[in-house]
Amino acid sequence: MNYAYAVELKGVVKRYSEILAVDNVDLGVKPGEIFGLLGPNGSGKSTTLKMLLGLVQPDVGSVNVLGIDVQKDAVVVKRQVGYVPESPRLYEFLTGIEYLDFIGDIYGVKTEEKRVRINEYLKALELEGREGDMISSYSQGMKQKVALISAFLHRPKLLILDEPLSGLDPRSARIVKDLLQELKAQGVTTLMSTHVLEIAQALCDRIAIMYQGRLLALGTMDELRQRASMPESGLEDIFLKLTGTGDIRAVVEELLK
Amino acid sequence: MNWKNVSHLIRVDMKSGRLIRGRRLTRYRESRLFPYLLYGGSLVIGLAVGVLVGFIYRGVAAVADPQLMALFHQGLLSLFLSLPTLVLIYSLVFTMMQQIQRSGVKFSIQAPYWLPITWEEHTLASILANLLGFLLVSIIFTGSAIIVLSIFMGQVAYAVLTFFALLASAFMASALTEIFRILQVRFIGAVYKSSGRAAVWVRFVGSILFFLAFYIVYFFLTSGTGVLTFVQTVASAQSTVWFIPFVWLGMTLYSFINGLLVQALIFMTLSLLFVLSLFYTAVILNKRFGLYEPPAITISRGVYAPRTGFLGRLGFSTVEAALIRKDLKAFTRRRELMFIFVVPIVVILVPLLQSMGATAPTGVFLYLFALVFLMPSAIMAVSLGNIVIGEEGGAVWRIYASPISAKSLVKSKYFFVVFFSVLATAVTGTVGAAVFHPSVRAVLSGLIESLLLVFALGAVSLANGIKGADFTELPRPRMIRTAWGFINAIICFLAALAILAPIMAYGLARIIPFVSIKPLIDLYQAIVISAIIAIIIAFVGYKIAVKNARELLTKAEV
Repeated sequence: MNYAYAVELKGVVKRYSEILAVDNVDLGVKPGEIFGLLGPNGSGKSTTLKMLLGLVQPDVGSVNVLGIDVQKDAVVVKRQVGYVPESPRLYEFLTGIEYLDFIGDIYGVKTEEKRVRINEYLKALELEGREGDMISSYSQGMKQKVALISAFLHRPKLLILDEPLSGLDPRSARIVKDLLQELKAQGVTTLMSTHVLEIAQALCDRIAIMYQGRLLALGTMDELRQRASMPESGLEDIFLKLTGTGDIRAVVEELLK
Repeated sequence: MNWKNVSHLIRVDMKSGRLIRGRRLTRYRESRLFPYLLYGGSLVIGLAVGVLVGFIYRGVAAVADPQLMALFHQGLLSLFLSLPTLVLIYSLVFTMMQQIQRSGVKFSIQAPYWLPITWEEHTLASILANLLGFLLVSIIFTGSAIIVLSIFMGQVAYAVLTFFALLASAFMASALTEIFRILQVRFIGAVYKSSGRAAVWVRFVGSILFFLAFYIVYFFLTSGTGVLTFVQTVASAQSTVWFIPFVWLGMTLYSFINGLLVQALIFMTLSLLFVLSLFYTAVILNKRFGLYEPPAITISRGVYAPRTGFLGRLGFSTVEAALIRKDLKAFTRRRELMFIFVVPIVVILVPLLQSMGATAPTGVFLYLFALVFLMPSAIMAVSLGNIVIGEEGGAVWRIYASPISAKSLVKSKYFFVVFFSVLATAVTGTVGAAVFHPSVRAVLSGLIESLLLVFALGAVSLANGIKGADFTELPRPRMIRTAWGFINAIICFLAALAILAPIMAYGLARIIPFVSIKPLIDLYQAIVISAIIAIIIAFVGYKIAVKNARELLTKAEV
């Protein structure tokens, strides 16, 4: 491992016609860290995550993942990354097992290892018995489980997860959370985006808050509390204060008029 | 019935055309008139055609024999009589085909289920929305043309009545399609559920047979002699089958033209009642079975044991083999992709039916053999190459996010295109050889040329298919942008001409024996030149495909 940061963004700018999606972002995620990327809708989180895989090209700046310039060799980066997008569309004409088998092959997982790991994950996330059904008949939560397994299957060095626990039942959500902690102990870096601030507060070592494409704040929970001058507060209050969306009461009153 | 709701729902359907890849959707603006231009254009063209034919009619009427003109009048009246039934069948085929292609539409059709919209409004909007586009354009064109023409011929009343009958026929057909759609959801879903592992094959074979039946009807209706035969048959036989509700509109016209006003009124009332009964049947069925839940098709049970496949031994990497296997499953399981397999079958059937019982000269049989040998695989290579990237749909993010290089992507997709097209060559070639008994030399030449076309056109259409891929899935999977579909058709046509030119220089003299021209070139020389042209086209096409794939993976647009 010859890199100081598993993920490193330097002066990254991304513009979609008149909309500035990401505005001069500098960010470093250390190896083995669980890093939370928070922000209101449209703040540039998903665009930032996509840039890490080369799915979106920055207009300005550089993106290095696991010491590799993504723009130069995206395929090498992708091989070492597990990705779950915000609303994963799976191949609905495949069965769950066929999809995971496909993913295993795409990432070059050896046959025996693939068999063992797929069976383990299916059992853990309670998909056993439904793995032979076409994905088109799966519920949203089941699809999310398949998407998560496909991100973990090839033992990636970096996990990029956009709303990873969306639609999961409490047991599966707990398994995924514990799994992320275990993987962290093994040196796997996780970069996740979520709107569920309790999850971010409980799981993440450091948190970055994005707003209107810019990085508003970055640090541990304590550092964020200091930054917001709210020593006893939880992440939700800090988030609302920092993003300037704290005047909730007035909004609700206006709606109830 | 809240007509505003119906209108809003139809407009949603019309606006679905906006979702085309490459179109800028942030701060999206469009002309309000744009969606109606197509209909306005068909009206103007219809009026112009009517005026033109009308003037020709006047010119001819001034000099022609009155008996001939009477025959012409009679012919026109026969056309009026048969048009409603013709439009009914035509609309039925089109709306059914639209329905088949809309299998991915469940997300959009579910939205009204939780909105304050009644089933009547939803059903009516669905029936009317099916008519939008080509069908409405052809009805407007036909209606306006016959009304203007009838002014010159003094038959305005008949023409106006025919126009309304056309609209009613199209509505009738669309209502029938709606009924079919709901029944399909209910009963075919049940069949899939109960067939278990065989469900995929039940669906595959069932869909292909269904497609086949409709394509044959379609070809029958769109071939010139088919329409004429149909018009003659309907015009003469309509009154003998008056008890079939589908000809009541035609019977209304028949009665009106023959001055039987009471009978015309009765058939008009019956037609209206029939249209209403179809509509309310659709509403009742929608209320009962309309909520679509995809059946859980179980394909495999038991212990999962991954296998190392045959493709690896052919020199494909694990990634490429996985992509090919995934596509094989897509084309046998996704109903909207199955039409690919039907076109070659239809292309064989049409010349076979044409040649049946005929005592045509050998040259014509040779031509038909060449057609059966070359056309299906070439069409398959062109259409498969064109959609094999776009068929990924919204799930294309999986390709973008996976460690798949542009070269691997193109290699696997190209193999898939070539594999199926070569398979089509084998099947159609065998059928062609069995039916037309060509010489061994002709079979070998056909085989080589067919393979050359497959490899070259497959590469060209794959390059275009990547460039013009459209991953939009609602209201139906688009797979390729319309403009790129046309561009591909033109380029492939020119490429095929270039590849076949040397063979044509040799073969025309044999196919047209009564034209005494000597072959311009020896057969073997022709094949070698043809092969060189095909290899160059395939090589350039493949290189462009890799370049386009690199761009596609970099831009990663969904």
